[in-house]
Amino acid sequence: MAARVLQQCVRSFTRPSLRLCTGNLALRASAAPLAAIHRPLSLFVDSRRTRKVALSPSWSVGVLCRQYGGLPPLTLESIKERVMYVLKLYDKVDPEKLQPSSHFMKDLGLDSLDQVEIIMAMEDEFGFEIPDAEAEKLMSPDEIVQYIADKKDVYE
Amino acid sequence: MANPIRGEVIKLYKNLLYIGREYPQGSSYFRDRLKSAFMKNKDVTDPEQIRKLVARGEFVIKELEALYFLRKYRTMKKRYYEPDD
Repeated sequence: MAARVLQQCVRSFTRPSLRLCTGNLALRASAAPLAAIHRPLSLFVDSRRTRKVALSPSWSVGVLCRQYGGLPPLTLESIKERVMYVLKLYDKVDPEKLQPSSHFMKDLGLDSLDQVEIIMAMEDEFGFEIPDAEAEKLMSPDEIVQYIADKKDVYE
Repeated sequence: MANPIRGEVIKLYKNLLYIGREYPQGSSYFRDRLKSAFMKNKDVTDPEQIRKLVARGEFVIKELEALYFLRKYRTMKKRYYEPDD
């Protein structure tokens, strides 16, 4: 009995210290990212100081623009590029015959099921769903680009 | 072109493609099989028959779902209940 009491005493004595220890660790862990955040800022100050010596536009741009999770804004050009890239990776499309204006069925020799697969790939690429009624009208890369630009409010 | 059944068939194809992405033997294997299964019946024109085939497709979707659930269940069972050697 006495032994148990003693044990408990010892345990209660050691536990707070342990807790303190882990708390300390947690504190340190939370402090580390803070330091990491501060570092680019200080570097930015450095680059500002030395700007007259060496222009480093990439650094100042990287720090000044806050980087959220979003993607860079879409342009007609980037949409077109991504559409063509997806099509090139699709195994039934011949990359050499592929033109922005080529018709999937007449020029590329695909059937309506392939076209459904292409539309699904586009849905994956751009992250939104294309309803079936409109999907079956999209028959060339140009039309897909136009449709996506309309849906995403891209006009330039 | 504006056949209502056509839309149904396309929808079925799309759903099957989505569900086939997790197929155990790989999505490309599934895609090829699916394509050939659809192409086999491309000359069917009788609406009644097409309806029947679409219903069969829906049944296949259910079967695939059951297959995935079973696979999940087996894996869980293996991890939690069967002793390691």
